[in-house]
Amino acid sequence: MTVRKIEVRERVMARNDELAAQVRARLEAHGIAAINLMSSPGAGKTTLLERTLAELAEPLDIAVVAGDCQTQNDADRLAAHTGRLVQAIVTGGACHLDALQVNDALDHIDLDATRLLIIENVGNLVCPASWDLGERARVVLFTVTEGEDKPLKYPKMFEKADWVVLTKTDLLPYVPFDADRAVQNCLQVNPRLQFIRVSAMTGDGMAEWFDFLRRSVGPLARA
Amino acid sequence: MHELSLAMEIGRLAEERLGPDVARCVAVGVEVGTESGVEPSALEFCLEAVFSHPPWNGTKAVLTRPHGDIFQVTWFEIEEDDRPQD
Repeated sequence: MTVRKIEVRERVMARNDELAAQVRARLEAHGIAAINLMSSPGAGKTTLLERTLAELAEPLDIAVVAGDCQTQNDADRLAAHTGRLVQAIVTGGACHLDALQVNDALDHIDLDATRLLIIENVGNLVCPASWDLGERARVVLFTVTEGEDKPLKYPKMFEKADWVVLTKTDLLPYVPFDADRAVQNCLQVNPRLQFIRVSAMTGDGMAEWFDFLRRSVGPLARA
Repeated sequence: MHELSLAMEIGRLAEERLGPDVARCVAVGVEVGTESGVEPSALEFCLEAVFSHPPWNGTKAVLTRPHGDIFQVTWFEIEEDDRPQD
């Protein structure tokens, strides 16, 4: 027996990146802006989206894809705030969404009637950072009940992000969280990051978040 | 634990590339860059699991750790049948 060596150069993420390019092209063709929303579990993605859908689902023609390891609880919670379809992706234990899942989810969404797609990723600060989903912007939620050093501990997530939303700011008086230091840590990892501070509970800062979303969308393709 | 997804993707792309040769693949070389966000020991563990099931045949994963964010399959070793074809 002899052993033959075959030299190759195949990037492991190549297939996902091709699919992400397909998703991006599909969304572009319909003039849809897509936001990939990521965070640790419990940082408030779903609550932020509940408030967002109640306010902007109709005016911005929002569609949501919500990913979870198990259950479609988040999709059900979100669907209660909008008549528009909330598409659930149950990853069956997988720790992130990939471009194939998003591409499949798009088949169930009326793309002609959508201007903004919000993808709620699986709660996880590590794995989702590696998967391009075809989004236009990446938004990381960073909650004040976490440590200010999260960006230093999980740099890839913050390196790849465009915006950081500091959530649950109503809890700031009760937790030893130094928001300015948290922002500094984010900027140390990625100086291009932009910030919004919100409390979905009290509504504080939500206007700024809504403005960000309004600025993200263009006219409806079908209009 | 996205290393399992990555290991399965390595298995998938190798099967696509090698076709029926996959059963005779004795080793796979993978470069896992220091900035790739991939944990080599976790990936090795997951590749061992993937490579222990058909069509794989106890294939060995050989991981190297170059600088940078590269993450790619670099070579396959295929065992050749030396018996003369008649």
